[in-house]
Amino acid sequence: MLLKLDNISFKYPNAETHVFEGLSHHIDEPGFHALFGPSGVGKTSFAKILCNEIKAFTGQIHTEDIETILYSYNLERLPGWSNVGDHIAKITPPSHVEKSEVLVECFGIEKCLNRRFAELSLGQQNRVNLLRYLLQDFNVLIMDESLANVDELTREKIILKVKEMFPDIIFLYISHNIVEVSKFCRQILVFRSIPKNPQTLLVKGQDLAMGQTLTKKDHELTMLEIMNAS
Amino acid sequence: MAKTAKTYCGLAGLCVFILIVCSSIAMAADPSVEVTYRLKWLFNTSVVGDLYAKDYGFFDKAGLSVTIKEGGPERDAIKELELGYAQFGVASADQVIRARSKGAPVVVIAQLFQVNPLQWIYRADTMTVKNISDLKGRTVGITYGGNDETIMRTLLAKENITEQDVKLFSVRYDYTPFYQKKVDIWPVYRNSQGITVGDKLRAEGEEIGFLDPAGFGVKFVANSVVTSEKMLKERPEVVKAFVTALIQAWEASLSPENEQKALKLLEKYDKDTTADVRKRQLALTAGFVKPSPGVRIGTIDLSAWKQTEDIMLKLKQIPEPVKVEKAINSSMMEKSK
Amino acid sequence: MLHRRLYQFLIIYSLGLSGLFLIKYTLNLSNYVIPGPANLWATCREVWLRYFFDTGDTLAVAIIGHITSTCLAIFVGIVGRQATWVGSFVKVAAYNVQAYPIVALAPIIFILLGDGFISRLLIAAMICYFPILLSVLGIMAEPVVDIEHFYRITGRMRWQLEIKIRAFENMNKLITVIAGSATLAMAGTIVAEFIAANAGIGYSIRIALYQSDLSKILIALFLIGLSLSVYQGLLEFSGYLAKKKWEVPKGGIV
Repeated sequence: MLLKLDNISFKYPNAETHVFEGLSHHIDEPGFHALFGPSGVGKTSFAKILCNEIKAFTGQIHTEDIETILYSYNLERLPGWSNVGDHIAKITPPSHVEKSEVLVECFGIEKCLNRRFAELSLGQQNRVNLLRYLLQDFNVLIMDESLANVDELTREKIILKVKEMFPDIIFLYISHNIVEVSKFCRQILVFRSIPKNPQTLLVKGQDLAMGQTLTKKDHELTMLEIMNAS
Repeated sequence: MAKTAKTYCGLAGLCVFILIVCSSIAMAADPSVEVTYRLKWLFNTSVVGDLYAKDYGFFDKAGLSVTIKEGGPERDAIKELELGYAQFGVASADQVIRARSKGAPVVVIAQLFQVNPLQWIYRADTMTVKNISDLKGRTVGITYGGNDETIMRTLLAKENITEQDVKLFSVRYDYTPFYQKKVDIWPVYRNSQGITVGDKLRAEGEEIGFLDPAGFGVKFVANSVVTSEKMLKERPEVVKAFVTALIQAWEASLSPENEQKALKLLEKYDKDTTADVRKRQLALTAGFVKPSPGVRIGTIDLSAWKQTEDIMLKLKQIPEPVKVEKAINSSMMEKSK
Repeated sequence: MLHRRLYQFLIIYSLGLSGLFLIKYTLNLSNYVIPGPANLWATCREVWLRYFFDTGDTLAVAIIGHITSTCLAIFVGIVGRQATWVGSFVKVAAYNVQAYPIVALAPIIFILLGDGFISRLLIAAMICYFPILLSVLGIMAEPVVDIEHFYRITGRMRWQLEIKIRAFENMNKLITVIAGSATLAMAGTIVAEFIAANAGIGYSIRIALYQSDLSKILIALFLIGLSLSVYQGLLEFSGYLAKKKWEVPKGGIV
């Protein structure tokens, strides 16, 4: 499994400066990989290039054993003509029904199933949205602030469960939460604002998994490293 | 000392003289009375006398500054008189009688058309109208609500012809149904559309004829000059000056020696009509406004007005008599002789 | 909804009428310029039944024209939503054609099609067609990214689903445009009747105008306003019902 980006540059049409220029990065193992950095440095643009939503870029993307890259973000909505349960039932392939039941329970959204999406809290909406992506067939899932507005304990529970249930999947986790990315991610690609050079730095994360414990010191060191990099 | 006083007196006298001369010049150049004259229809040959009065200085000579405004289906001179937007206007007799029956203080001061130019055109090679009964079984065009409806209904009623005997067809702006022969007889103003529609039919080798209601005893008064009772009462000298100038201008415009001047004027105001048609329209208009040399332009035909009122009363277009003679004031015409 | 439309109309009409009476009595105008209440009442008793059926006739033509143009606008809007050559051609054509005032085209329509039902229907449909089309084009060409993204990235998006999402998300806008264009359909029919037709309330207004009879025109306006308020109220109510039926109930099971 390989996701390799080579010398990627991108700027918005009619813009004078690049969002990022000559960016290279590669991921060759599954797990949680973070994209971290302040707003406006190009994390979302980078994600959209990966999933082919942005085509006007230069450079090359190589993939091996990757067929489907999905991109989810925290402002997505479900159509208003059906309730959450119906929608999930409709978009879940028969082979994933069992997985759906497990995830619904873990995500704590059983009570949301009979309700309209618009009636849910922002945290519930984001959990529902992430859940429906997890029920698809994919090799890479980009989670752009997908667990925003979810409380810390639930978020931890969800991330650990997802890591356990999807050991062969690459997750690209976009977040501004330094504690979270340093704790759960295998590696953190830190985006730095222009004119810092190099534009990105890679930091190794703690990659906490279900049943493991984390030493406070190691965690703090990783966080310090990320802060120094950004 | 005496010399100085004389000098001052002389200077003062000169100043007064200059002031008097200047003010006289200003008064002569700027007529003091401004009035608005609302016509019944657009600028065309039917209003040649009105335009003549304006362009050839008849109004100016009378000390009037007149703004002539075009009319149209949505314009109503009588309403404008009452609202003060115009001081003089042109209205048809049925308009005047209807307005009087609703209490409008409108007064007729001159009758421009002695003969109503509203007639019906037909193809003479397919029908003749020697009697109104010749219309039986025919499709007759009328403008519902227009005075041609009133006139046609009067003609039919005179011969006891009912709506079962003729087919009435609602007339619009375009003549297609007549050209397509869906309608046998179509209302036109003889001195305007009568010429153009007739030309088209003749060009197709068709003979044309006209039904003139006056020939069957229906005298329905057409356009007249109107003003308000208030204007007549408060500013009779202005009304007199206006009527006098207007009638003089009409006389001049229809006089053979002024034909070229009149045609030049029409060329300026009615560019959409060809020179040949304008010339023929002018000749026909002259016949309707001044049917014989002995008739004075503007003469109010009281008997025709009374007949018009009777017709409207019979057709229940007015609920009760308005005594139309009360709405007519010939004194301005008499004074303008 | 319906009753609100009705009483709003009655308030506006009463205010307008009161304003006219105020002008009449302040300026001491005759019944010829502005009819008095007694004159208006007498005319009302004389013509209301005939005008009622004339208004019904006009409203029927307007409704058929409105439905036809709504269906056509939705169809063209759906085709024109795509960023293809055909879509862009349809959009440009729609914008250009609406630049021609229908009143200028109306005489041509009457000459070609006569002064019957079809001409009135066509003019009514044409007048309300373009505003609906432009709205539908605007709505259908504008992606609802937050909802469509999932279907698009998972390869589930179909054109029917795309239209469904955009229509559902813009339901209020669509209802407003469709209800609002009913006024245009009615106005179009009246204009058509006024210009050339020989039936309907527009034709009656033309006759009243020939006779300078403002009382008849005021009664015609009352009936037009009343019928239009009822029609618009019913349209809004239908839209509300459709939305309610389509939308999943709050906190409930479908």
